[in-house]
Amino acid sequence: MNTDELEQLLAQQPVALLHRLARGRIHRHFRAGKKRLIELLLQHSIQNRAGLESDLQALIGEQHSRSEAGSSRINHPPAITHKKASPRGVGPESSETAISLSAWLEGLGVPSPQPFVPDPWQSEALSALNETDVVISVPTGSGKTYVAVEAARRAMDDNRTVIYTSPLKALSNTKYTEFSRIFGFEKVGILTGDRQENGQAPLLIMTTEILRNLLYDAASGEIDVRLDTLGLVILDESQYLADPERGVVWEETIIFCPAQARLLLLSASIGNPQDIADWLTSIRSTVCRLVRHGKRTVPLRAGYLHPNGKLTPLFRTLGIPYGHPSQLHPEAKRLFLEYEEETLPGGRPRR
Amino acid sequence: MPPSIHPVDLITALRHKHLTPAIVFLTSRRACDEAMETFDHADLVLPPARQEAIAVALERITIQHPSIAEHPLIPIVRRIGVAAHHAGHLPSWKIAIEELMRQGHLDAVFATTTLAAGVDFPARTVVITQSSIRKSRDFTDLTIGEVQQIAGRAGRRGKDHVGFAIVTPSPYIDLAVLTKGLTGQPEAINSQFTISYPMVLNLLKAHPHEHIQGILAKSFAQFQLNQRAELLEQKLDAVHVQMEPFGPRVCTDWITQWHTFDHARRHRHTRHQTHRSEPPEISARLPFLTPGRVVGLGRGRGIVLRQYRSKGQKNSMLTVLRPDSAVTECPVTSVREVYDRTCDCAETPTYPWCSTDTFDRLSHQLEDLPSHVPVLPILISPGIEPLPDAIVQSLGDFPCPTCPSRPTCQKDFITASRLRQEQQRHTKSIQALRTSLWHRFQERVEVLQKFGYLTPTTQLTMDGEWARLIRIDHSLLITELIRADAFTGADPSLLAGVLASLAHDDDRPGAFPRISTGLSSLLGQVRKLAESLSPYEDPPLLRADVAALVERWVADPTLTWIGLCRLTTMAEGDIYRLLARTLEFLSQVQAVKSTHPGLAESASQALTLIRRGVLEELP
Repeated sequence: MNTDELEQLLAQQPVALLHRLARGRIHRHFRAGKKRLIELLLQHSIQNRAGLESDLQALIGEQHSRSEAGSSRINHPPAITHKKASPRGVGPESSETAISLSAWLEGLGVPSPQPFVPDPWQSEALSALNETDVVISVPTGSGKTYVAVEAARRAMDDNRTVIYTSPLKALSNTKYTEFSRIFGFEKVGILTGDRQENGQAPLLIMTTEILRNLLYDAASGEIDVRLDTLGLVILDESQYLADPERGVVWEETIIFCPAQARLLLLSASIGNPQDIADWLTSIRSTVCRLVRHGKRTVPLRAGYLHPNGKLTPLFRTLGIPYGHPSQLHPEAKRLFLEYEEETLPGGRPRR
Repeated sequence: MPPSIHPVDLITALRHKHLTPAIVFLTSRRACDEAMETFDHADLVLPPARQEAIAVALERITIQHPSIAEHPLIPIVRRIGVAAHHAGHLPSWKIAIEELMRQGHLDAVFATTTLAAGVDFPARTVVITQSSIRKSRDFTDLTIGEVQQIAGRAGRRGKDHVGFAIVTPSPYIDLAVLTKGLTGQPEAINSQFTISYPMVLNLLKAHPHEHIQGILAKSFAQFQLNQRAELLEQKLDAVHVQMEPFGPRVCTDWITQWHTFDHARRHRHTRHQTHRSEPPEISARLPFLTPGRVVGLGRGRGIVLRQYRSKGQKNSMLTVLRPDSAVTECPVTSVREVYDRTCDCAETPTYPWCSTDTFDRLSHQLEDLPSHVPVLPILISPGIEPLPDAIVQSLGDFPCPTCPSRPTCQKDFITASRLRQEQQRHTKSIQALRTSLWHRFQERVEVLQKFGYLTPTTQLTMDGEWARLIRIDHSLLITELIRADAFTGADPSLLAGVLASLAHDDDRPGAFPRISTGLSSLLGQVRKLAESLSPYEDPPLLRADVAALVERWVADPTLTWIGLCRLTTMAEGDIYRLLARTLEFLSQVQAVKSTHPGLAESASQALTLIRRGVLEELP
């Protein structure tokens, strides 16, 4: 290889590779730009041409094998773990191999029926509810309803009235059907804007607005006697507190909720449940208990489906890499870039 | 390559990998409907046993909800096991789809993101095709909470080992939003506390005015404001610590003292500079005294030919064309009036400062000017107020020049005054945070007093007593309408129509059914009142088409649901929601029966008239 060829070859390499090559050869190589770096390397090659060339070939070879390993893994599911020639200068995330599609799809299926055992957080919430108000913030589908049902059962066994509120009429109706099935029709009533059934039942389902109105009427002297026996107020979907139009209703309801009734706030995962609990503590007579966790009962995996029907995992890991949004699966990344190139910014495909 | 995956391919792929049942979230209702259309001729048919199971399940639901019997999507649901579910559908249809899904009969449901928030509706897989949703006319990126709410539908407890959230690109997707949403912590929620008129009335009904501040202090809004105030207080404490070395010196308030001294000192220097400045009323005129301008002088009028400065003169000078073609020089101060009249003037650099033609023309024009010419109004900007001479002259009275701490004062002044400003700013914002809710309440109270719902001593008036029962949006407009007797003698259909236009806050366009004269005149009245109330309450959309639609439904009991839907281009689900919301408003109006029996009677008639057909069948 003559000097011109070597110069050309060096010019084709990414600058990161040149820096690795310059390490130990050129003093303060990191200060140099690509052009200057090539100049310096060529100057250096006068002393030890062969050493430089062989190192360069090794680095180039290593880079090739890495990019191939990234793209070929999908086609050959039992991926061969790639041995790196030199662990230096490689980011921590790329040191793990990305998950393969077959491994990602593994474990799919229907679990055999198991006896229901409440999760520790569910028991914790229920026992806390004996003494104080409780705020629950857990991911969707973790079993908040179980807590609501058990809490309602216990309060009703105590001859206390229970009010369950939800933000939407549709949800109220669903819960009405569900609770009627559990407790029996005579035990459950519903009050929404335009539906009133079994208003004297010990478990009342209503929209939050209706409860707010009830509380206002009670405060202004048109006393509803039943508020005295009210033992538990369950506010489902409490994250509606932040709804621009209706959030205020949740605040009013909580402020005017009778002191003797326990409050149970059920909410999806939110960023600041501790604030809600602190707030309740500051305005209610007891110290509010916060029950939160971020772990889903049924684990979640994320995938990427290309318009041509090709499915790949979205992330390098099997589950979702919480806190690391950039750990994309190389194949998903490649396919999405391809997609973005094929569609114009306006959204129409370039034919 | 299509911009996004074809729905048939999508279902095929999901079935192939055993990823069904799935919920496919699409951007819009129309996208859901179009996805369903693609299945018309698809050969993805289910095995006969499953088709039969769906048919049986559907029949069972139809007994409870007859309105779904003729639904156009039923053949596809039965044949292929996919369905659409969005807000444009009747609740009965949505209930049916949810039930089928719960029983495990369906392979996929195409839905809009509203589903994610509302219904308990899990599946093995969710397919996400978008990274933004439509919120009041704009598209905004999904928040982390929303992405997790959507992804949370994947994986049924007890039915799946794992749930799958599958992203498939469409032209409107931003992958970063979704990956961040899937891996991130949900956002903190913030209070959206607003103080409405009925809230004020209800609070004052139940609690004395002096207790209210305490009640407002219990809100989450105040809790969060306090949190911010505490942060500021910490900052304020830090500022106090930094202020310590700048405490009292020879004078207690040395910062102010030095500030005044410094200012006076600087001013004294600038004061003695010779400068030629006109008083503000003269300098304001200068830009208008251009060639061609007609001006009034001590004796008669003239036309300005040029403006210039002369060495020997204190003021700017003018060359003016006087009557009889005389050309005179005068200082600007001798101009009495500047008239609102200019003549064209071709300037030249030598005497008489304009071309000969112009000169002749101007002379004529000056002769021909009417006796009265309007004066040009000139806005005089006040000059910079000079420091009173007294202070400047009393510079010798300041102790500073000879004060022993003068060097340190001079050195520290910049830091100390910055710190003091910061301190004052923080104190102000803390106070605002602590009292803002109360001020907002007081503003509402003042408006209610102005309209006569509250007495000056914040007791509820007669009107206030019933007005507090109207606890819906646009409550002030509704109570004012009732007080203006707008509904007196109006029959139930008119009342329902107007309330519908108040209740409907959706701006999805609908076709315009014929509108009766009674309704249109009443709506005109409502619109006028709403405009006059706009400083106190945001006016409603007041759409005449929805008003007419509801009026027809109430006025014509023989009108069937299908007939009603044919009158407009609104989707069934929207019509249903419109009627349901009207019901809610009507039942609020019905609550004032003790003071307005006629109105309440009309409202309750409307209530019974609306509840028929599909509306009766649903809970």
